[in-house]
Amino acid sequence: MALSVNPSLAVTLRPQFMGLTVAALAIVGAAILCGLMIGETAIPGAVALQTLANQIFGANYPLDPIEEGILWNYRLTRAIVAASCGAGLAISGVVLQALLRNALAEPYLLGISAGASTGAVLVTVAGIGGGAVSLSAGAFAGALTAFGLVSLLAHAAGGGGERQSSVQIILAGIAGSQLFNALTSFIIAKSANSDQARGIMFWLLGNLSGVRWPDVWLAVPVALIGFLIVAWHARALDAFTFGADAAASVGVPVQRVRAVLIVMTALMTAAMVSIVGSIGFVGLVIPHAARFLVGPTHGRLIPASAVIGAVFLVFADIGARTIIPGQVLPIGVVTALIGAPAFALILIRGQRL
Amino acid sequence: MTLEVESLGWSARRKAIVSDVTLKVETGEVLGLIGPNGSGKSTLLRLMAGLRRPSSGRVFLNGESLATMKRRAVAQSMAFVEQQADTGDAITVRDAVRLGRTPWLSPLTPWSERDDDIVDEALRDVGMIERAQQSWQTLSGGERQRVHIARALAQQPGILLLDEPTNHLDIQHQLSILNLIHSLRRTTVIALHDLNQALQCKRLAILQGGRLIDLGPPDRVLTEQRLADTFAVNARYVTDPADGHRMIRFA
Repeated sequence: MALSVNPSLAVTLRPQFMGLTVAALAIVGAAILCGLMIGETAIPGAVALQTLANQIFGANYPLDPIEEGILWNYRLTRAIVAASCGAGLAISGVVLQALLRNALAEPYLLGISAGASTGAVLVTVAGIGGGAVSLSAGAFAGALTAFGLVSLLAHAAGGGGERQSSVQIILAGIAGSQLFNALTSFIIAKSANSDQARGIMFWLLGNLSGVRWPDVWLAVPVALIGFLIVAWHARALDAFTFGADAAASVGVPVQRVRAVLIVMTALMTAAMVSIVGSIGFVGLVIPHAARFLVGPTHGRLIPASAVIGAVFLVFADIGARTIIPGQVLPIGVVTALIGAPAFALILIRGQRL
Repeated sequence: MTLEVESLGWSARRKAIVSDVTLKVETGEVLGLIGPNGSGKSTLLRLMAGLRRPSSGRVFLNGESLATMKRRAVAQSMAFVEQQADTGDAITVRDAVRLGRTPWLSPLTPWSERDDDIVDEALRDVGMIERAQQSWQTLSGGERQRVHIARALAQQPGILLLDEPTNHLDIQHQLSILNLIHSLRRTTVIALHDLNQALQCKRLAILQGGRLIDLGPPDRVLTEQRLADTFAVNARYVTDPADGHRMIRFA
């Protein structure tokens, strides 16, 4: 039976689709603009826009070079990386919650943040690589190692069979995370001095202070490619509503889709963690918040989670920079401090619906 | 639409759950799979649906080996309804039935008005069209099973596979689901527990210890001897004097 696509409908959908895309980009753009304006020294929006015009289009607005430098090299890079990480972590959470059919699934479930921290302390505290390896590279390698081990463990727990259940994946993730967290503590206890321990602590809670343009060129493509791959599988994720067998019986190649999406979210999360540390809360809670707003259908949930995650993390970073004057808080502290009460509110209101 | 299985076997942890089953589903028939607990009904159905990879033997859908077919192509000609598949997601009845269109859609062939029409028709067939916007969480067990069948119908399959669709339902809903299935007039394979309900099928496949021990019309295969040998019950047929309907009375 040939499937006839109603062409007129595809065309009528397109303006709506374009409209939503523009709206989403405008919302994220507005959040990034706020990230430019708000800080220890408030900078007017006009100056922020003139800086962008100067740097991007070569306009010649006369601006204070120090302000321009702060905007372009510090605040803009932070805001863009925050937005990319927020979007990436949120859609990773959406994918894992759908595939594992578990409301508590989140991007760090598969041992990624634990592995990243072990990699980071191996480089900074234990001195692996003799200074030639950056903290980010160490964290990335650690994250992938942990993910690889967790995958092997989940596979073995499934009897080496083709369908390991989500419970086995989750338990393997917990075991892997505990192991790598213990390794991290072991290395810190064995060889770190108090300054190093504090530095690592700060990094583990998420830190955007060191972010510069090269990080932007990593975070943006990773988030974008991740988003496109996940959005491409939106309908397949819907099919997991009633479990893997139900997905298979409506024509989803379950093994392949699971493998592609889990490996993709692992790579995306590992990249984000290696840039900014393990910012908690976003990947767990933003998908739920988005679900309350747009419902569980992934065609809407994935873009909504990406936008909400991006905006949330940009504002969390603004909070991290401004809540205590003269001091930058770890962003993970802010995401939980703002996010937990906000989420509680959503939960209570959701009950009444 | 044809579905055939050829010396099909499946084992878990070296224990054979299904062994050496060969049968051919005839076009348009309702074939009942019966057998005591643990006789391999559900597993055989999952093997036929392609949800488990056989340890031995093959399944042929329209003459093509299921093992080499794409999941999407399988789902376009065959739909499977599990026992009691549930979700915690806040979806509506219509959302659940829309999932049946998955094998016909792709990111490049988006949802169309025709898909809406097919979903409407499936909802009408199971008598749930008025409740399309109702939340899944508010449905009773029988209503959920109806929605699952509607989802399967939205796949527009030639063959329906149903795993004990009346399980855990009260008698009224059991009968209404069975009447619904028989009224659909599709090639159907249905695992059943209730032997009186099985009598309505055109043919019955009787499983015992994972083996197919008989296959044929209920009158021929479900004898009092068979009931004693396979199901370990003393039973005999009685005829309702009101309408001449035969049923099994268990001693």
